[in-house]
Amino acid sequence: MSKQVIGAGIRGANVVVDRVEGKINAAIEKYGKDQAVALPNTAYYLPVIYGITGEKVETLGDMLPIMEKCRQLLADVPVDNCWTPYLGPGLDSGMAALFAFDMEEALKYLGDDCPYLASKEDPEETDADIWLGAADDIILRKRGVEFVDGSAPGFAVIVGAASNPEAAAKIAKELQEKSIYVFMASNNEKGTSFAKQLVEAGVQIGWNTRLVPFGFDHPSAIHGVGFAVRAALTFGGKTPGDHVGVLKYIKDRIFAFIIALGPVCDEQYAAACGAINFGVPTIADTDFPQVLPTGVCTYEHVVTNIPESEIVTKAIEVRGLKITISKIDIPMPYGPAFEGERIKKDAMHVELGGPKSFGFEFAYSKPLDQVEDGKFTVIGPNIKDVEEGGLLPIGIWIELAGRKFQEDFEPILERQCHHLLNGAEGILHIGQRDIVWMRISKKAVAAGFTFEHFGTILHAKMHNEFGAIVDKVQVTIITDADEVNKRMEICRKTWTERDNRLSDMNDETTETFYSCSLCQSFAPTHVCVVTPERPGLCGAYNWLDCRASYEINEHGPNQPIAKGDVMDERLGKWKGVDEFVIPASGNAFESFAAYSILVDPMTSCGCFEAIAACLFAANGIMVVDRDYSGETPCGMGFSTLAGSVGGGLQTPGFVGISKFYIGSKKFISAEGGIKRLCWLPKALKEASKDMIDARGAEVGIPNLYDMIATEENGTDEETIMAFLTEAGHPCLEMEQLMEMM
Amino acid sequence: MAFSAQTEKYSGKMGTLTLGSGDQAITVGGQAAMPFAAFDGELPNKPIVAMEVYDVVSPDWPAAVVEPFKDVINDPIAWAKKNVEEYGAKAICLQLISTDPNGDDKDAAYAADLVAKMLDAISVPLVVWGSGNVEKDAEVLAKICEVNEGKNLLVGPAVEENYKKIAAAALGYGHAVVSQSPIDVNMAKQMNILISNLGLPMDKIIMEPSTAALGYGVEYSYSVMERISLAALAQNDEKMQCPMINDIGKECWKAREVMLTDKEEPGFGPDQEKRGILWEAITAMDMAIAGSNLLIMRNPKAVKLVEECIDELMA
Repeated sequence: MSKQVIGAGIRGANVVVDRVEGKINAAIEKYGKDQAVALPNTAYYLPVIYGITGEKVETLGDMLPIMEKCRQLLADVPVDNCWTPYLGPGLDSGMAALFAFDMEEALKYLGDDCPYLASKEDPEETDADIWLGAADDIILRKRGVEFVDGSAPGFAVIVGAASNPEAAAKIAKELQEKSIYVFMASNNEKGTSFAKQLVEAGVQIGWNTRLVPFGFDHPSAIHGVGFAVRAALTFGGKTPGDHVGVLKYIKDRIFAFIIALGPVCDEQYAAACGAINFGVPTIADTDFPQVLPTGVCTYEHVVTNIPESEIVTKAIEVRGLKITISKIDIPMPYGPAFEGERIKKDAMHVELGGPKSFGFEFAYSKPLDQVEDGKFTVIGPNIKDVEEGGLLPIGIWIELAGRKFQEDFEPILERQCHHLLNGAEGILHIGQRDIVWMRISKKAVAAGFTFEHFGTILHAKMHNEFGAIVDKVQVTIITDADEVNKRMEICRKTWTERDNRLSDMNDETTETFYSCSLCQSFAPTHVCVVTPERPGLCGAYNWLDCRASYEINEHGPNQPIAKGDVMDERLGKWKGVDEFVIPASGNAFESFAAYSILVDPMTSCGCFEAIAACLFAANGIMVVDRDYSGETPCGMGFSTLAGSVGGGLQTPGFVGISKFYIGSKKFISAEGGIKRLCWLPKALKEASKDMIDARGAEVGIPNLYDMIATEENGTDEETIMAFLTEAGHPCLEMEQLMEMM
Repeated sequence: MAFSAQTEKYSGKMGTLTLGSGDQAITVGGQAAMPFAAFDGELPNKPIVAMEVYDVVSPDWPAAVVEPFKDVINDPIAWAKKNVEEYGAKAICLQLISTDPNGDDKDAAYAADLVAKMLDAISVPLVVWGSGNVEKDAEVLAKICEVNEGKNLLVGPAVEENYKKIAAAALGYGHAVVSQSPIDVNMAKQMNILISNLGLPMDKIIMEPSTAALGYGVEYSYSVMERISLAALAQNDEKMQCPMINDIGKECWKAREVMLTDKEEPGFGPDQEKRGILWEAITAMDMAIAGSNLLIMRNPKAVKLVEECIDELMA
């Protein structure tokens, strides 16, 4: 088990501390205790020691108390026959090794035989060797800014050497392409180092290519840690000695990881143990026991036996690093300006799916190791195989994976296809699921468009916009009719399951609701509380959307609300909801009832799809939607109603709703629900027929649909009363609305 | 019974922002009451005007606009000095129009050098405003921060698309940032959160909630700013407690009512200069009354009017 690794680390740490102690004593003998020691041009002394302990090592004599500290931190190697906790002692010993390395490196700058090129960004051919040693503060500031603004997503410390120079160059290129800095140190048992391999393969190294050769031996890897610590002090505003703050900053912000190539020695195990303190995991290509339980690092601590060809991908995944793609590599322009573009028949090269053919777009998630990020495949004819004016079926099959991905996000990302693909000039996209219809323009084809570019776009945009939940995107484009048909079966089955999933959820068994304060820009006191059975009044945000929005942007307008204890089951009042609503509404409201139109109804912003209003004479409720411009039985048309209901007010007797909410079991259920519904505009009534029939049957009035009046039966209460009486509408017999206020 | 005036008590207080460094430093913000409502709470710092200097001037500028600077109009350094020495500017705002890729497309090194020279030439704090091109501003402002390390410039505008690069450079090299949002309270707050999440402290951020000129939507700017102030003061919303800045000169002096001569629009009257000055001064006062702490203005007479007005209201 991982005890073996930690044991080796503790053993290695003891060796390192012993060795460095000897070197310090020898140096004191030679130069005296007052001899100044420092890394070049830095205000941070020996940065790892300074950042973690706050101690300033300025002379050889200052190293002695640090040595004491190392001794205190060092633990005994855990014995095989006794099960004691070992992770803590392992981390402490690792830290001791890092302190020792920090001092060992400083000692190298004493005397005339310093192995490092002084304050240089890149080694040059005329230099004796390639090693750069510690970065000075100017380099730190310039490069550190890139870690803050995200143009450098993280850094890899590569120790050891790859199997051959070509393999090294490949790994380096893969990291470079993702803008990740590569800090190189140490060598393998044959005396080969990764940095030298790169030079051999003709790769340019140095800070400017982000491939930084620190040093030839194991201790020089400490400059990577030193860089991270100084970044925490400079950019994180952390105080030296605030070890918790420094460690956390590095874990949360710097995104470093170690790639160990080739056999790993005790000394490197010690460094790996030390690195875990900083949330820095180690990923190795050799086979030794792993340290998998999560806790200190974001995910696993030590992952082993990963082939060279997969090690970068795995390392990025284990570190939880998010990659953004700055340029979408397609031959035509991309941007919001092209979203509204139409492609007429004579400008079109090929039509995909749509009314004359068939097709689908489908996104689903798989385990991380089953998705190959950035892989785009075409099954069937590609663009070069289609004549101008051609027609093909289309299948866009998107496989997603992510550490934080949840099945519920699948439909949300699938729905993005429309917006994402339309952003490219020369692609027209309409519809979703199995009614997708696309056209590709002649201009795009002339520019070099192929079907793989659908993948390029979806991959880049999903990483950039949904990076918080998506780590890998693989896309298959299918134009082969049989294959489209075959996969369509799977899609349809999944869509049905998805549709049922939300409809199976209910408010009683859900502990977390979500707020939506998107509309506070114009309705400052308005807050939507979105529950599984009560979608946002705009109809655009249901509970799943809000949850995904929160996962994607935790500072965004959708915040989780722990509903807490039930205060009133009928009205839909929960303690947690009220506690949230009070400050969120700027203290304007004290309580919200999710299911009532009369008692503390939810506020309405202005985006409601429809408005529900009480008709007191009829003892029922009418609903009017935005598309209906005529008069209604409550005496006001939609726009007049909207004026008095909207703007973030609680207006008992009126509430803004989404049309879909009419079909919910919780539709104004405090006042009797669907049985109160007595008037709808004809178009809305017809569009809602399935929902009304289903709900009517559930409440024992299967012919409820026929009892609901429309503008054809009247637009004043008196006229529709006659209709309702004749139809025998249940609202007439219900408890008086007036008495429920 | 004696009359006692009703006062509002606020639980929150605006943060402050310090411009420039050393003896020339000026602090704005810190108010514990709504603008000029000193009877409700302390107003420790009055709103300040930063006078504009352009690195390049459009040939469309009417003579009335050019008039006060006609001898220095092609020399931003001299212009800045004139603003300070002759017109008593308390701060300067350098408008880097020439870096716009759709215009002269001057590079970041040019801009950084110009800023360094201007810092040497003037004795008041400097605000540096980009061309508004999102990508180019990120590059230019980051370079300016790097080259002028430690000078505590105020650079901007940083918007959602480019704030990372600008704020990171400001953080790394010791400057403050203008956080701009499109007339939206939530966006203003989100921008502050995003920028402070990078590590830039709140006292290095000033908000620009988008400025509209009189007759061009000034009431929208007004109401968003008032909402921000109320959120900061009444609701004690920490992420709204950054002072505010308004880019006024640019918006006002392009208004139709200012640009047209009386020949083109006889109803506007012959005194084009007066029209412009009043347009700018009224817009600036609107912003000050809405809660602005730093007003970027162009015309010296308009600046004088506004400063007198502010002094009177603060007295």
